[in-house]
Amino acid sequence: MRPRVVAAAGGAIALVVALGACSKNTGEGTTVDNNRTQTGVIATDPKDSQGPAAEVPGAQKGGTFTIIRETPISHLDPQRTYSFAGLMANPLFARYLTTWKDDGKGGLVLVGDLAETPGTNVNNDCKVWEFKIKDGVKFEDGRPITAKEIAYGIARSFDPDLTSGPTYIQEWLADTPQFDTKWDFKKNKGSLPPGLTTPDDKTLRFEFAKPRCDLPFAVSLPTTAPLPPDKDTGVNLDNRPFSSGPYKIASNQVGVKLTLDRNTNWDPNTDPVRHQYPDQFVWSFGPTADAANNRVIADNGADQSALAFNFVPASLVAKVAGDASLKSRTILSPTPSANQLVINNQRVTDLKIRQALNYAIDREGLVKALGGQTVAAPLTTLMPPSTIGYKAYEAYPAGPNGNVDKVKELLGGQTPELVLGVADNTTEQQIGTQLKANLERAGFKITLRNIPDDAKLDEIKKKDNPWDLYIGNWAADWPSGASILPVLYDGRTIKAEGNSNQSYFNDPTINAEFDRILAMPPAEQGPEWGKLDERIMKEFAPVVPLFVDVAYVVHGSKAGGAFISSVFGYPAFVNAYVKP
Amino acid sequence: MSLSPVEGVALAEIESGGDAGAPERRDVLGRSPGQLAWRRLRADRTAMVSGVMLIVFLVLALAAPLIEMAYGIGPREQFQNLLDGFGMPLGYAGGVTGEHWFGLEPGLGRDIFIRLIYGLRTSLFIAFAAAVITATIGVVLGTLAGYLGGWLDAVINWITDLTLAMPFLVIALALTPTLVLRFYGEREQVSSAFGVGVLIGVFAIFGWTSTARLVRGQVIALREREFVEAARASGAGLGHMLFRQLLPNIWAPILVSFSLAVPQFITSEAALSFIGVGLSDETPSFGRMIYRSLDYLQTDPAYVFFPGITIFALVFAFNLFGDALRDALDPKSSR
Repeated sequence: MRPRVVAAAGGAIALVVALGACSKNTGEGTTVDNNRTQTGVIATDPKDSQGPAAEVPGAQKGGTFTIIRETPISHLDPQRTYSFAGLMANPLFARYLTTWKDDGKGGLVLVGDLAETPGTNVNNDCKVWEFKIKDGVKFEDGRPITAKEIAYGIARSFDPDLTSGPTYIQEWLADTPQFDTKWDFKKNKGSLPPGLTTPDDKTLRFEFAKPRCDLPFAVSLPTTAPLPPDKDTGVNLDNRPFSSGPYKIASNQVGVKLTLDRNTNWDPNTDPVRHQYPDQFVWSFGPTADAANNRVIADNGADQSALAFNFVPASLVAKVAGDASLKSRTILSPTPSANQLVINNQRVTDLKIRQALNYAIDREGLVKALGGQTVAAPLTTLMPPSTIGYKAYEAYPAGPNGNVDKVKELLGGQTPELVLGVADNTTEQQIGTQLKANLERAGFKITLRNIPDDAKLDEIKKKDNPWDLYIGNWAADWPSGASILPVLYDGRTIKAEGNSNQSYFNDPTINAEFDRILAMPPAEQGPEWGKLDERIMKEFAPVVPLFVDVAYVVHGSKAGGAFISSVFGYPAFVNAYVKP
Repeated sequence: MSLSPVEGVALAEIESGGDAGAPERRDVLGRSPGQLAWRRLRADRTAMVSGVMLIVFLVLALAAPLIEMAYGIGPREQFQNLLDGFGMPLGYAGGVTGEHWFGLEPGLGRDIFIRLIYGLRTSLFIAFAAAVITATIGVVLGTLAGYLGGWLDAVINWITDLTLAMPFLVIALALTPTLVLRFYGEREQVSSAFGVGVLIGVFAIFGWTSTARLVRGQVIALREREFVEAARASGAGLGHMLFRQLLPNIWAPILVSFSLAVPQFITSEAALSFIGVGLSDETPSFGRMIYRSLDYLQTDPAYVFFPGITIFALVFAFNLFGDALRDALDPKSSR
């Protein structure tokens, strides 16, 4: 009996290997062209903000479009939406003051959504903004949307019970991070927060104490979705948001399945970006990333018109990319989520060492360690390429594998000993091992220290953290330098804990530059941020830019029109349709 | 192996008698239980094959640095130039070549063969040390509790229950960072010996309970048997009772639980290393390697195959040998 068992087990394993080994990997077709040119502007012509949106070539009406995701969307209530899945689901049933017209290839135009234009800077000092609301915009029950309902939506975002949404507008209106104590929503239900007024049904007016030139961008977040006060169900709005977009909630089995039906009261002529092609959208939650991707790859039955929201896992990438027949069913696109090797500037005060680190980095090896070009794309700038005004440059030309000679020259014989803190999750452990080997080849001495995964973010945000290097990630809420550079590198914001400026970089000349550029009209800021980005890197090298995450998504053979949002880097569904 | 107090004496007496008598009486020569067990073991082909395999594994593990010298590649060396754009090894079967016998890891591009050898060393050492320590603690506490009974039994049982009730993962997770901070501060390199020590310690603290309960039960069953009574009546001391009368009779279940514990510790080591207790990614570890390779089942089966077949062979050999050893020691027991 036993020898036969051994033979059977051995045979089975040998078979698996034989199947896997029969093809030779020659490395052909494994380079990915994911170049896209990012251009971002704010629409000056009101016509850009008018509907209807241009037809998607080949799009047809009808069918059910399914989206499979591992975990449920944390919040559906627009005022509480901040997760990527939520931000991608919301446009289906919520409209905002402004929105991005996105061609899926990096071309972005900020247009008015419910507003006729992306905002009027009344006194040209960014302190007073006015939005005119379009005619013919309606809720799902046919009532017209006016400035009052939009203002109410913003007001309810002050409610401390309705947390976890973005807080830009609230903080700017209240002029303090503690906005919910400054203006209590529950006690003032009939009124509006300070600075927010509706002079008439068609006008929404913001007045700020300080210049807030980024307001047109900030109101493109779901905080500005309208809601009639009588439809406000408080925390329960999460289960059934009240629709102003092309779809409405048909049923919601919380945590399992969300079904969206067409909203007949949505008028395409008022909407510059959304379409209403499928009869139904279904969000299905539960399968792991592996399972969901395998299901969509198999392309059976209802999965033919499905899309796996979780990116193709690194372990499946070779399978998907190696299959030519899958090529038409994948979307590949770099995202705005940028990753850096953050240098703790309080500890590593020697500019030469920081520059040497920049020369030493082997980006090609790092990308391979992460799973290849479908997972990460090398980055040499502080802002990701998807930022308005992005300027491509290499302050420290390291080549694909690092420039060891240049490192040796800068270090002048010394061996800096640095401590690299990595979270104990799979990806960061991998990055840590890779970086340690890479930097030690170049002449550094690296000590790896593990940080518990769930505590890592809090720990590196502490000013006196004990590490010299750690991995940082930043995905901006809108593609403007203003939501990246001052947030990450303004030294005046450094406090004891909870810092976004994780490199603890502080230079008065750069801080002054931030103030200068922030006071400029938003449309003129772009190129200035690009220039400042290069200047910070050349003069101070506060971090080592590593890579941007790459979105790699599979959809079924009948699913069409989905594209990777140039703003958030996740699949967008405003153009989605089902092929017959 | 000495299994009976009378072994040496009996052997000498019978053999001297045999020498005096006719040589053809040799075929009814008396043998000690140890000799009989060894003979049965020798006759069992499965036992021999699995035993040899275990020895090969041990030698490979112990000779890791020598193998590295002969092989010419270290466990941390990276060969990313031999990976394609997706980080997958070029060539056949996960990059198997004359230079890299078992191919390369996807992503980091380290040599699988040498990491396997080093990993075997780490994991076998941890598993063996932990199994020996848990077996020792278990046997000592189990025999004491079972034989002496009374308040000692109650106390040991109480400790066993307490240990079983303690949330193993939570304590391991909470303890490790504290220990690291205590011994290495915030910025010092944590040596891999420390990680190994923590793992062995964690396994030792939590792993002895099953052996202790098993041994206690066996001892209670034996305690009232005639030969034990006889020994007690002739005034044997505690040490003699425990080590000469009781223990030799319960080796079989102890060996089986030992042989089952070793592979279990190897796999637990993988799981623990992954949640940040014990080894970091730098220390080659067998368990960690298997854990990571599972993701690549569809795209790089060779990466799963080599560590997979090795742990399969190792655990299989261990179990077969454990089985055979039990049969040899206790032929009466039903299978």
